[in-house]
Amino acid sequence: MVGTVSRDAATAEFFDGTARGELLLRRCPEGHLSTPYAEACETCAAADLTAVPAAGGGTVVSHAVSHKRDGTTLPLVIVELDEGPWWWSCLVGAEPGQVTTGARVRLTFERPEGSEAVPVFRPADA
Amino acid sequence: MADTVTPRTMPAGRTPAIVGLGMTEMGKVYDRTAGRFAADAVRLAVADAGLRLSDVDGLLTSAGVGGGVGLGLARDLGLKDLSVLSEMQSYGSTAGQMVQYASLAVASGTAETIACVFADAPLRQGTSTGAAYGSRGAVGWRGVLGASGIADTTSMYALAARRHMDTYGTTQDQLGHIAVGQRAWAGMNPRAQFRDPLTLEQYHASRWITEPFHLLDCCLVSNGGIAVVVTSAERAASLARPPVHVHGWGQAHPGRSLLRHEDFGLVSGAARSGPAALAMAGLSVSDVDVVELYDCYTFTVLITLEDYGFCPKGEGGRFVADGTLGPDGKLKVNTGGGQLSSYYMWGMTPLSEAVLQARGEAGERQVAEHDVVLVSGNGGVLDHHSTLVLSPHAPGRA
Ligand SMILES: [Zn+2]
Repeated sequence: MVGTVSRDAATAEFFDGTARGELLLRRCPEGHLSTPYAEACETCAAADLTAVPAAGGGTVVSHAVSHKRDGTTLPLVIVELDEGPWWWSCLVGAEPGQVTTGARVRLTFERPEGSEAVPVFRPADA
Repeated sequence: MADTVTPRTMPAGRTPAIVGLGMTEMGKVYDRTAGRFAADAVRLAVADAGLRLSDVDGLLTSAGVGGGVGLGLARDLGLKDLSVLSEMQSYGSTAGQMVQYASLAVASGTAETIACVFADAPLRQGTSTGAAYGSRGAVGWRGVLGASGIADTTSMYALAARRHMDTYGTTQDQLGHIAVGQRAWAGMNPRAQFRDPLTLEQYHASRWITEPFHLLDCCLVSNGGIAVVVTSAERAASLARPPVHVHGWGQAHPGRSLLRHEDFGLVSGAARSGPAALAMAGLSVSDVDVVELYDCYTFTVLITLEDYGFCPKGEGGRFVADGTLGPDGKLKVNTGGGQLSSYYMWGMTPLSEAVLQARGEAGERQVAEHDVVLVSGNGGVLDHHSTLVLSPHAPGRA
């Protein structure tokens, strides 16, 4: 169960993207791809970056399970997107322990009431 | 034990030494603001050194999550015409860094007697410990991370630890040995918040926070303040306490927070900072007698031991489970119980215990051989690291 989030000036373009079902990576003039919040290219530090949507495939780099005081759990993952950048989020449609390091996952979006759309992952075979 | 301790970089007489340590009451102490804890800690440290506040010509401050400790502290203490004054922030590595900048100021003659202080009061009576360090408003980039379920540093360190476990075969049991070993030390520390003996079974039975972290993998939260006073070795010789000489230091800031980072959870800034500090001191890791490591989580201790070179990379789990830790262990690590069991004063927790051990004033838990004490600080999610090499012996003397 994801939480709610609202935009600020720095995330307006990003959340316009998630509303369309896109995770916007950042591409530099050399063609390197960086994470959505990069202000400088992760590879060459170039500052003139343009938005490009991720294709949606990725591989789990690490995982954890958050336990809430109400007894519910939420699987957490760091995913290496097929384009290279990493994205930290949660996993939906999977039991804790079902998806481990090296597993293939797909990007999807949760749209909580009163919130911007939140990028999350689901098992690739689900 | 070191045969000789010879710094390479500082002129004789102006080598820095820690000459005062001030520790307020810590833990669930609700009667003071962070600013008042800071002022109390500085007064205690200055008195401990046998100095007066009017002797202080430099002040470096470090605030925790609750804020309220800053430049105004100089006014609150009646300090005027200072030669060095700044607020510093590099999270858990700040305390070690304050000693480094104070040492540079002493060595260069910029200032002569500098107080370095951390204080925080995040605990409120009647609210949970978790609330003190909970997420604050789901907006923007931090907000999208929080909405995704990654709302606290525990989740981030859990992801780091799991990567180490997956890569090197580090086990839950091995993390537990760190909690158990430090609790055994805490039993001999009158200042420790948790002093009851802990078994591995009790560790495993403690509730999950974020797997692979149980409650007992995580530091506690404390209100309080700690300060140290740094001056020249020359001046230290005439003061009240045995000086603790600062022989070497280092910092490392990998700068890849939340970015793609091949070393995430596997190698931290300690791998650069530790060897740099030891090289400055002219020492190697085999010379170290006492190790005081930043322990926001059990895992932080494990990765720092590896990165400092106490065991090969990837063997930290076996190393800590093999009779290494605790009062009877082969390596004297976090002898006060650390932030896991004693008190959570960010980088001042390992630094304060290091000063007590180097002076030979750690009471029941005093380590017999304490000629070289290594201290770490760690901030962010393994994003910032600081190291200090301390010794009761003056530079150039065995
Ligand atoms: Zn680039």
